[in-house]
Amino acid sequence: MTTIITKTVTRICLPLVILFSISLLLAGHNNPGGGFIGGVMFASVIALTYIVFGIDHIRSFFNPDWADLFASGLLLASLTAFAALPFGHNFFRSAVEFLHLPFFGEVELVSAALFDLGVYFVVIGSLLSVLKNVGDDK
Amino acid sequence: MDSFTAITLAVFLPFILAGILPVVEKVLKNRIGWYAAAVALLSLILVAQVAPTVIHGENIQGSIPWIPSVGIDLSFYGDGLSIMFGLIVSGIGVIIMAYSNGYMSKREDLPRYYQQLLFFMGSMLGMVFSANLIQLFIFWELTSITSFMLIGYWRNRPMSVYGATKSLLVTATGGLFMLAGFLLLNAMTGTFDIPTILHSESMIEFIKDHELFIFALILILIGAASKSAQGPFYIWLPNAMEAPTPVSAFLHSATMVKAGIYLVARIHPMFSGTDAWFILVSGVGIITMLVAGFLAFRQTDIKGILAYSTISQLAYLMTMYGYTTHIHPGIGVAAATFHLLNHATFKASLFLVAGIVAHETATRDITKMGGLRKEMPITFILATIGALAMAGIPPLNGFLSKELFYEASWEMGAELGGAFTFVIPALAVLGGVFTFAYSIKLIDGIFLGKRPSRGLPEHIHDPGWTMILPTAFLALLIILFGLVPSIPAHYIIEPATEAILLEPVDLHVSLWHGLTPSLAMTIVTFILGLLIYTRYDSIAAWQNRFNSKHPMISVNYFYDAAVNNAKSTTFGFSSRMQPGTIKTYVTALLLLMIVLFIIPIIVLTPDIIPSTLNFDIQAYEGIVYLFMIVAALGAALLPRYLPAIVSLSGLGYLVGLLFIYLQAPDLALTQVLVETLTTIIFLLAIVKIPQKFREHITPSVMTRDLLIASAVALTVFIMMINATQGIVPPFESLSHYFIEKSIPLAGGHNMVNVVLVDFRAYDTLGEIAVLCLAALGVYNLIHSRGEEE
Repeated sequence: MTTIITKTVTRICLPLVILFSISLLLAGHNNPGGGFIGGVMFASVIALTYIVFGIDHIRSFFNPDWADLFASGLLLASLTAFAALPFGHNFFRSAVEFLHLPFFGEVELVSAALFDLGVYFVVIGSLLSVLKNVGDDK
Repeated sequence: MDSFTAITLAVFLPFILAGILPVVEKVLKNRIGWYAAAVALLSLILVAQVAPTVIHGENIQGSIPWIPSVGIDLSFYGDGLSIMFGLIVSGIGVIIMAYSNGYMSKREDLPRYYQQLLFFMGSMLGMVFSANLIQLFIFWELTSITSFMLIGYWRNRPMSVYGATKSLLVTATGGLFMLAGFLLLNAMTGTFDIPTILHSESMIEFIKDHELFIFALILILIGAASKSAQGPFYIWLPNAMEAPTPVSAFLHSATMVKAGIYLVARIHPMFSGTDAWFILVSGVGIITMLVAGFLAFRQTDIKGILAYSTISQLAYLMTMYGYTTHIHPGIGVAAATFHLLNHATFKASLFLVAGIVAHETATRDITKMGGLRKEMPITFILATIGALAMAGIPPLNGFLSKELFYEASWEMGAELGGAFTFVIPALAVLGGVFTFAYSIKLIDGIFLGKRPSRGLPEHIHDPGWTMILPTAFLALLIILFGLVPSIPAHYIIEPATEAILLEPVDLHVSLWHGLTPSLAMTIVTFILGLLIYTRYDSIAAWQNRFNSKHPMISVNYFYDAAVNNAKSTTFGFSSRMQPGTIKTYVTALLLLMIVLFIIPIIVLTPDIIPSTLNFDIQAYEGIVYLFMIVAALGAALLPRYLPAIVSLSGLGYLVGLLFIYLQAPDLALTQVLVETLTTIIFLLAIVKIPQKFREHITPSVMTRDLLIASAVALTVFIMMINATQGIVPPFESLSHYFIEKSIPLAGGHNMVNVVLVDFRAYDTLGEIAVLCLAALGVYNLIHSRGEEE
């Protein structure tokens, strides 16, 4: 599997796919995309690098604890659920705000985007943690 | 701060401050127990602060809406009864937390210990101040759970685990019976609010005449009896003695076991005054009092003696609450309430003494002890005060409340008349005789007589002040309550009795009240008690012989049989349900799916397959379908994993392509990505499994699988036909709602995403939580397997 072609392709793909995954996350509210899809895309490209370059090689310089990522994602998502309570709103009430920024024009801020970010982290973290553990298993 | 806020804080602060205990531990290290004691003191101050209001006859009430749609609020109610319990719980709490500093070794897991103690204290306070039956139930079960964790504190000891499980099974199940009783009460009155029922005479009359009355009473009493170790439910308490001794003193003598008594007192206005009340409450009480008092003789463990004594003493209280049907309610209830307070002081102090003795001698076996009075003079004095109070010797507080008990029993007998005139006082005296005998045994066995030549450490001494002072404080209370009974009587017992009876009470307690029948009964008790004490060991020996000859005559025998039976049955069931092969699970799931999908379709649609079908398939779609069929066949028929997987992935990508044709970009994107990821995971796993997978598939298995697969395919086909042709009439499609509301309510144009993160965000939260659990599960599976090998 680890021919020179796959290695080169993976190397070029990696940053592009990560960027695309982030843009999917941000675009999600109005265009195709969202935290789940973005997360799966991120996880797939990391998984691809794990396979192509070998998990042990990658881990020698890049070895995050993916469990931290999914735990903080779940925490973030739960917190957004509670965020509306102090303002007297119901659980999970979302807020929408439009901002006019120079240069970007009109920017929409949605509290649900934070929830989506939580989903994004959970998807990446849990998928890669499973993958790493299965890959580690000798 | 108003009273309601004070009570709310007293209940919830222990929870919150226990929550940050692991952080506090970083700073305070081993002195964490003093922090816990300070938290308990805070609760005590908060409760004490509202006590004057209540003593002046004003009840505290307030609520915060919680589930208003079903009439359940977070509401607290403070009357004399709950204030008395609140003071006992937080006051003994302070003493226990302080004492634990000396008792618990620095090597123990102290944060867990104090955290659970504080959780328990909060739950117990929440229970006694609950104004709502459902809320009372929740806090009630929380005390059962914290008790379970504290009994099982030393989780590596099999007996701790056994005791913890037993207590949870008995008390939590009892709690469920109680909940059923509460629901019946709600069915009768239409409310869960306790003060509403208590202060409505018409409602109480209605309850007493209702046909559900007896069922509600029995169910609630089962709850009370299981918690307070009455009747056959007593079996959990002796095993609960496996807990650290401060825990036993706190939960299993002074507070939690009194929750059942609290409940009986709380429902007293609703159910008392009836024959059923007298027969059930006093009947169970008298039997438990005698049996438990008698069984205490056999115990060689100090804490075992104290456990049986607790059961017997709680039965006194039950008995007295039951008397109110026939005699003037003031006597029985006041006597019971006074004895409850006194028992909390002397029994807790005896447990603390037992803890000291076990701590210094490293044993709790009373047969190995003796003559410790010279080495532990202070402990000896404290133990003597506690034991003599329990035995009912003047001028200690136990004497006063026992006198009241005798007085109530005497009147009870006179009221019933006939043979009962003497039978009931005689039974009461017999209970007192047993109590007297084992109380003396505690002093004599541990501190008097000769020191045994072997089995005890050489140097035994009194413990440090952290253990002496809390115990001494309780001993002081015992003496104070005995010498100046008007203080507790006026400030605690009267308000509590008024709260139970809902009418003004004037209570006079004094050490000397003339030559009364109860004084004669006390004297008879002392004489008989001393006589029986001379035969103490032979009675214990007879009990042991009887027990080994007839093991069946014991509640524990049936409990153990039932639990073991349940264990083996569930084990057999689960090994049949979960044989471990994925194929079985998938088969079961698929068959269930067929059943669940087909039934609604048969019920809801006139024709299973609509007669007029309207397919509009473009040529390019047709080609995709054709490829999909080929790919599906390939996945099923190809003999090796790799080609089969590639074929399966191809099928997945083709589905993605179809989504693009059908203008569902989100679905297409998801489909392609998930397909990619599963292919990658397959490829990772493929190197580790055997390459051939068709070896042991016999023709019959093949036929069965083929049948199931075809049935699933047919089901899905019928489903899709019905869904896409729009012929499931009773339901309107939900998509219209989301199309309309997506922008105004959530400000998003992508409906799929808006549904995921906004409209159905709670579902998504659940799903990502499951994802996290799955990841943790995989981690555990892989790592625990490594350990076992």
